[in-house]
Amino acid sequence: MKALLEAVEETLIGLLLVALTLLVFVEVILRFGFGTGVIWAQEVSLYLGAWFILIGASYALRVGAHIAVDAVVNLLDGPVKRAVAVLAIGLSLLYCGILAVAAWEYLGRMFQLGIEMEDVAIPRWLGQSAVLLCFLLLGARLVALLLAVLRGEADGFKHLDEAQEALDALAEHDAQTKQPDAGRK
Amino acid sequence: MVTAFLFASLFFFMIIGMPVAFSLGLASVLSVVFFSSDSLASLALKFFQNTSTKYVLLAVPFFILASAFLTTGGVAQRLIRFATALVGHFRGGLAMASVLACTFFAAVSGSSPATVAAIGSICIAAMVRAGYSQTMATGVVMNAGTLGILIPPSIVMIVYAAATEVSAAKMFMAGFIPGLMITAMLLVTIYVVARVRNLPALPFAGLQEISASALSAFGGLFLIVIVLGSIYGGIASPTEAAAVSAVYAFLIAVVGYRDMGPVRGTPWRKPDEALPASIVRNLALTVKGIALSPFDHEVRHTILEGAKVSIMLLFVIANAMLFAHVLTTERIPQTIAEAVTNAGLSPLMFLLLINVLMLIAGNFMEPSGVILILAPILFPIAIELGIDPIHLGIIMVVNMEIGLLTPPVGLNLFVAAGITKKSLLWAAKAALPWLAVLLTALIVITYTPSISLFLPDLIEQWRTQSVAQ
Repeated sequence: MKALLEAVEETLIGLLLVALTLLVFVEVILRFGFGTGVIWAQEVSLYLGAWFILIGASYALRVGAHIAVDAVVNLLDGPVKRAVAVLAIGLSLLYCGILAVAAWEYLGRMFQLGIEMEDVAIPRWLGQSAVLLCFLLLGARLVALLLAVLRGEADGFKHLDEAQEALDALAEHDAQTKQPDAGRK
Repeated sequence: MVTAFLFASLFFFMIIGMPVAFSLGLASVLSVVFFSSDSLASLALKFFQNTSTKYVLLAVPFFILASAFLTTGGVAQRLIRFATALVGHFRGGLAMASVLACTFFAAVSGSSPATVAAIGSICIAAMVRAGYSQTMATGVVMNAGTLGILIPPSIVMIVYAAATEVSAAKMFMAGFIPGLMITAMLLVTIYVVARVRNLPALPFAGLQEISASALSAFGGLFLIVIVLGSIYGGIASPTEAAAVSAVYAFLIAVVGYRDMGPVRGTPWRKPDEALPASIVRNLALTVKGIALSPFDHEVRHTILEGAKVSIMLLFVIANAMLFAHVLTTERIPQTIAEAVTNAGLSPLMFLLLINVLMLIAGNFMEPSGVILILAPILFPIAIELGIDPIHLGIIMVVNMEIGLLTPPVGLNLFVAAGITKKSLLWAAKAALPWLAVLLTALIVITYTPSISLFLPDLIEQWRTQSVAQ
């Protein structure tokens, strides 16, 4: 079940990025190749971008893509390190909590006003609802992380190490070039 | 009071290991809750706007996606082959070729660590085999690798443009000459060192190899033609050029070079294959490559990798904009600007101050983060002092290049240490002598605005002339 949800999440994020890229690409081609344009393209691409970032934020937390300053935390050890991790996750939850409440209030007002987006006939509150979704999803992942730390299964945030990432990508590619069929179905 | 709270809480959150994005967001949100009369709802609106009103920021995921498709070993190998054919026959030719390959690669990827990893993994070993010291080989690649953020397209420049409302297109134009200048400075230094140490030269590759390798590298290098051509020519905005690059990069990686995807490794022309048969086969392969890509493991993986890095950056940006919003509503930059001008600081002194401040900050955070936090504060002061916003941006980017080479968080050092299996300290020492070249370049660029501003001004002139006619 968890694996299925994660696959759905990954596909959704990939699709959002591809749709966004193709929309802007097609619009450029239409404008310069054929002299026509799509009126709603700009607004829709901006909204797609927002959904991509906001839905993606919790995905990024799962795969440890959010950068952080870990120089100090890495000096700590044992219970102190876990206590600091609990504090950091707790404060992150506070951040999500405040913004989730803020988003709820804001969307409520938009719902009452009942206005639509500029170029598309979709209620504005619906288009902007990603902001609430973002902090709810992030909050859920943070609670799971907090429980894992309390149970002693994790010792804090996973972080993206950009340098390690660049090296991993390389190693992966090397492995694939050596065995031409690896990574293919 | 608000200022103290804002910065103290930000510092505390980051120290205890909260992700940078959350730290920026929480510090700003708490400042608003405690000290301002703004409603919570307005914060949510602001946050949504931060993710959805800057069209220029959409260039970030597109360029990252393009670079994800092109930063495979195959493209790097083609660029290195071309660079070696061009300059290999000079003394120290292999080191020069590495620098040139880094410059080329910088033009297809907007990231410095990626440049060091791709070029370094091939070139360092090759140089050591040819009799260069490993220290020199690594030092050269690490330094040339920093060009990734100066030579367009550059993610850091887009971030600066978004943070300060400066035109990203102009930033791209402004980075071009400083980038070439640093490349030239590195090449000359290598030549001198090679003469002194009597380093080897390769035999001249011949015009045939030069043209053959140029043709093979063309697929990758054409990306920069698309980007610069459409932006400089005023045809497309950086975002549009970026979307075209992303689609182009996908096509070249999957259908052109066949480095990944459903038709990976299939040759364009099999030995003894008749031309018509080859054409028909390749047409079929092209259709197959594109049609099956959505289901291909490698292509999906590349897209998700691009998505991951983009989301991380854009989420930091959204929160940093919240932070900048609090800064401006509290008029913090203006207050600092007034204090600075009242203190009678000259523009030159201020630029020196920026250099020192950014070099220190660059030691602890990665480039986009430093720009996002410092640009909103430094920008109003610079304007007050009559410094050109584009010039300021280039200075900041060159400073960040140096930050990539200084411990504890110099990303290029980590990558180079990883490739050579040596310690971080060893890498830092290897980078040090070549850092002198970058520092000289920084001083020259800081105090000679025309190096950065020449190209954007020139193109501006052309455009106004062509409009007038």
